[in-house]
Amino acid sequence: MAAFIPGLVHTPVTPFTQDYAVDFGRYAELVEFHIQHGAEALALPMHVAESVSLSDGERQELLELALKTAKGRVPVIAHVSDSGTGIAADRARAAERAGAAAVVATTPYYWTPPPNMILEHFVEIGSAVRVPFVVLYAPQAMHGTKISTDMVLKLMDRVPNFAGVVDASLDWQSMINIVSNAQRKNPVFQLLSGSDYMISAGVIGATSVLSALSGIAPRLVHKLYDLCKAERYAEARLAQEALAALWQSVKQGGVGGVKAAMSAMGRDCGGVRPPLDQLTQPAIEKLKADIASLPALAGEPRGW
Amino acid sequence: MALVLKGVMQSTVTPLKEDFSPDLETFEKLVEFHVRTGATAIAWPHHKAESLNLTIKERKKFAEVAVKVTAGRVPVSIHVSALAVEDTMVLARHAEKIGADAILAITPYFWNPSPEALYDYFVRVGTSVDLPLIAYNSPSYLEGVEITGDLTRRLIERLPNFVAMKEASFDSEKFLEISRVALAMRPTFSMIAGVEFLLPSVPLGGAGSYSSAGAICPNLCTELYESCIAGNWPRARELQYKLAQLWDLFRDQYPSSLKGGMVIMGRPVGPTRPPLPTATRERQDYIHEQLGALGILDSEPHGW
Repeated sequence: MAAFIPGLVHTPVTPFTQDYAVDFGRYAELVEFHIQHGAEALALPMHVAESVSLSDGERQELLELALKTAKGRVPVIAHVSDSGTGIAADRARAAERAGAAAVVATTPYYWTPPPNMILEHFVEIGSAVRVPFVVLYAPQAMHGTKISTDMVLKLMDRVPNFAGVVDASLDWQSMINIVSNAQRKNPVFQLLSGSDYMISAGVIGATSVLSALSGIAPRLVHKLYDLCKAERYAEARLAQEALAALWQSVKQGGVGGVKAAMSAMGRDCGGVRPPLDQLTQPAIEKLKADIASLPALAGEPRGW
Repeated sequence: MALVLKGVMQSTVTPLKEDFSPDLETFEKLVEFHVRTGATAIAWPHHKAESLNLTIKERKKFAEVAVKVTAGRVPVSIHVSALAVEDTMVLARHAEKIGADAILAITPYFWNPSPEALYDYFVRVGTSVDLPLIAYNSPSYLEGVEITGDLTRRLIERLPNFVAMKEASFDSEKFLEISRVALAMRPTFSMIAGVEFLLPSVPLGGAGSYSSAGAICPNLCTELYESCIAGNWPRARELQYKLAQLWDLFRDQYPSSLKGGMVIMGRPVGPTRPPLPTATRERQDYIHEQLGALGILDSEPHGW
């Protein structure tokens, strides 16, 4: 298998109407915005797109709409995670049939299975498709469930289309350990950064990034990505610090923070679905003020 | 002379005799070895020096030897953290009296102090002496008690002698939250990574690191730092991957395996005090084999 290097991957949020229905019209507009503003690939619906709050049918419909809007201009990676192994594997099959270029999945929701069963979970999902399969490692979001290097090496043996790990742990020890051992076994294995903290991931060896801030500050994200890709890390530090400042402002509100920031940039995608809290008006005002005070965002596009 | 903390600083282990009593003669040889093989500073007693298994009296004695043997060739910092804060204060004053160049203090053990209590603690330690203070952040070992960017800002405002951070979260976001605050407010501030995680930290503004494996492979440590400073990222990656393999070897019951490895390198430093185990003969044989496979036996100094 060739190395899977999707490059700069944008992760669009899921727009909702006031009664919490998926706003498909707005979604098509959003996907187009991402493609026009630097996305080399799309991954959806990720956690920032409230994947866990979407029905199976909605997820499939969002994927199909994204594919139809993209018209092959950029590949679309489908996020298929679920609690049940069989459910996630079925979703992976459906995604491949619809035209997804790759499939991504994280550890099971809610359950804390032993390592051998987590391995089986990934084996079944990865084996359900022929397109590249990547594993999302997000221990902070998944009550600490670990993915060990040993598990990665075993998965490489068992799933030929297993292409790499998307790291959202931000943990240097884990990233270095996984990528160095996996590439010794097979140099096509890829580390992908699952956050906008691109410098450390890049210097460790990550070749692609899934960017949650790409809907808010696509130019800054692109600049940081380009500098990291050229391994010009010293020059990248300013952009990295600016994106870190942006992330600290939005992260308190979680997905609500990301959506409020998008709204502040003139790209309203509605609120968040329950059980997530809507951002309060004072929190929205504070976020707007924070964004206005970040000079690095001055060059970002406003509106669609 | 202004204190400069950069490069790979060596935190020495604590040599013990077979009956677990202090072996000060070997300690003298060890400090001399580190200074001679490129240590940019001597730091004692970090956790790898079994700090918490030594009496306060023993800690004072070793500290005196470290300062005496180093004799001003490189800075010496003394780690003053103890279970009881009262003991920490005693050790800090002692470090100042014997002519150490700086003190290092971690967030207090066991109690999970509040952010306000952490602030008070560092202010109390930092104002008790005229020495430069290095704070030590290690959230993964201390139940999430951590030094945030905000605490860093408050401490820099309050303490003119707060000059550096040993940042051992090994986490892109946590490191950057501290470094971007500290370096903006105090450009001479030294961000020092734990272990030898130079590759992911130097591009974020890191000045250097402490070292886990420096008593085994000082040449490798020095070359990694120089590669990072020169921006030779492919070479730096290769060396960091190799050091990660060594870290995997030594982190098990740290520092037992490290002391075991020092036997192989012709620099025996005796057993490890309970409750930590001492590396068995079988473990030493395994380490021997691994050091051979990594080429360390050929590329690094043997004996004192």
